[in-house]
Amino acid sequence: MKTLQTNRRGFLAGATATLALIAAAPSLAAGRTLNILSHRVHQTSLGEGEADLMAAWKQANDADLAFTTFDSNPLMDRLFREASLPETEFGVGYLVDNRPTSEIAKLFEPLDPWMEKDAIADFGDIAPGLIKGMTIDGKLIGIPVRTATQALFCNLDLLEQAGFSAPPTTLEELVAQAQKITDDKIATGMILASDLAVFPVMFARAFGGDFLTPDFTLLPDPAAMEQALTVLAGMFENGALPRSYATTKNDDQVTWMQQGRAAFTVLPFARAAQLNDPEQSKYPGRITAVGFPVAEALAGKTPMATVVEAWAMVIPANAKDKELAWSYIKQVASPETTLGMALNGNGPARVSTFSDPKLVEKNPLAAIEAEALANGRGAFPPFPEAARAQALFLEEVQLAVLGRKSPAEAVETITQRVTPLLP
Amino acid sequence: MAHTENRKWLVRPAWEDMVRKTTFLGVVPLLAPVQLLLLVVVILPSIYVVWLSFHVSSFGQTPEFTGWSNYLRVLSDPAFRSAMWNTIVIVVVAVHLEMLVALGMALLFNSGIPFRRILLVAVLAPYAVSEVVAVAMWRFLFDLDIGPITLLMQGLGLPILEWSFDPIDATVMIILLTIWMHLPFTFVILYAARLAMPSDLYEAARIDGATRMQCFWRVTLPLMGPAILVALLFRYIFAFRMFSEVWLLTGGGPARSTEVVAVYLYQEAFSYNAFGTASATALLMVAASLVLASGYIWLLRRQVKNAR
Repeated sequence: MKTLQTNRRGFLAGATATLALIAAAPSLAAGRTLNILSHRVHQTSLGEGEADLMAAWKQANDADLAFTTFDSNPLMDRLFREASLPETEFGVGYLVDNRPTSEIAKLFEPLDPWMEKDAIADFGDIAPGLIKGMTIDGKLIGIPVRTATQALFCNLDLLEQAGFSAPPTTLEELVAQAQKITDDKIATGMILASDLAVFPVMFARAFGGDFLTPDFTLLPDPAAMEQALTVLAGMFENGALPRSYATTKNDDQVTWMQQGRAAFTVLPFARAAQLNDPEQSKYPGRITAVGFPVAEALAGKTPMATVVEAWAMVIPANAKDKELAWSYIKQVASPETTLGMALNGNGPARVSTFSDPKLVEKNPLAAIEAEALANGRGAFPPFPEAARAQALFLEEVQLAVLGRKSPAEAVETITQRVTPLLP
Repeated sequence: MAHTENRKWLVRPAWEDMVRKTTFLGVVPLLAPVQLLLLVVVILPSIYVVWLSFHVSSFGQTPEFTGWSNYLRVLSDPAFRSAMWNTIVIVVVAVHLEMLVALGMALLFNSGIPFRRILLVAVLAPYAVSEVVAVAMWRFLFDLDIGPITLLMQGLGLPILEWSFDPIDATVMIILLTIWMHLPFTFVILYAARLAMPSDLYEAARIDGATRMQCFWRVTLPLMGPAILVALLFRYIFAFRMFSEVWLLTGGGPARSTEVVAVYLYQEAFSYNAFGTASATALLMVAASLVLASGYIWLLRRQVKNAR
């Protein structure tokens, strides 16, 4: 019987060859690799395998895509860190619209010259408001690719059990329905994350107020914010918001809704598929979405300015292969890929996609989403101290909701603490 | 033959001769990789952090010298002072409670309990669990609506820990979690120290008529003193850097009421991208942990001096 014998030289040679093969693997797979920093949602909406929307582009460019994905805040941190280096391996990054300040914009490639050289097809179809959000100091730095328009999700089964035949049409109705479901011990009325400004801002806008307007007016209607905090505090006190409100995260909202532990929540329209997924949800097909309702006093007079978060594709100014990066952006922003991504659950940045028959057939919420998007805007505009201002705002909101401060005191403190941070 | 074999041990090994003959310059290349590693991984980043703490710096911004203003800004921030107070309370309570529990367990194990090996594995297990998994597990166990421990306590008519609502309950929860996660470290040090103690000392004490309690105060505790001090010192330094327990459990909430200094630092650096104030916070954190542990460092030095 022969035994396998090895000596030191043989072992070293073998190990070196293996390492060389591993190192060469990416280059063997495709001629070029485009490294992308993104949220996982951007990768999944492009599809995989046979449903890969980028298959033809990959073949035509002899290129592969390598996604590195993070949650929103760590993603922004990594993207800015990469773009601050002398050179980065990442060709494309996904940037959220409340982050680009003048300083941040300097880290990214101005895209106007690329548009002049090799324009994106039917560029005018991309929502102008989104383009404006990515134009900093007169320079276009990102191409909008995704909108996350907030909707009010409700579990129709739980509503029926409480004797309601339709979702609420005013904020007062929403609060009353949530309270009845709680009082009847069917479920918790509503679940909201406490670490995002989106939710208190939505409630304030339902009363005609806001946190910070696009022209940096802080609390344009303090009474509206006070009303919003009073409603949220009342819901918490009466059990219509869970006792775990202060530690509830975005992911908890999804699981609570899927398990029927809560009847209402506020999430982007794109979450409808996940909430109704038969493999994950106890209520497939029974969780629907409507536009977030305004207060009774404003119903029919002022449309709800729902919170819309937009994402754009950017090229770090220090990227190595900008040609390939632009080619990718151009392909992803094209009308066909936008539609393909929308069919996969992505909120489109193109206006026409919402009325595409294929999308309307597959996604009955598309029309409602388009309507909500028409009046929507970001939770707050970008400025250097925006993250700190949001944290201070949320701290005061939590104190008011948990009953440790009166809503009036909280509103006054928000003004005192946030004003020095404004540009 | 046997005589020759014995003589072999009297011959000085070749490597010892080599070391004796090697000059300082000859040794440098052997030590250089380690020194270089320390320089790159520890010393240079530390110098950079000190430099950064005197500058205003963020993404897309050229650092500007600002003197001591970052330190003043951090020290005058009520959120920092609150985070520092929370850290001190959690560290002092958790470390000392942990020490008492670990000491009790080390003595219990040494006294010869049944199923010692299985119990030893059970005690050491938390150290093998990832911090993220441990916190997720605790969040589920103590969930206010469906947590098995919460339901059990409610069933028994006991008050529940409202850790996501009440700041005191949240702090208690963080302390319990910290003790559970780090108990194995303290336990192993104390148990090893107890095992190393000669049994004849106890025999002598018993012959002299010492009670069990007297044996503990006069024999066990003084001889375990150095090990207890070392464990306390390490735990003080580690606990002061506490981050994941708080970040994953409460996120510093409700309304920043359980925020510790490491979470404050993280927010400054990675949420607000204020690298100057984050660096100043880091250095203040080092200074505070040294001040807090200085009493034990002084005791340790005194013990080392006395041992000479």
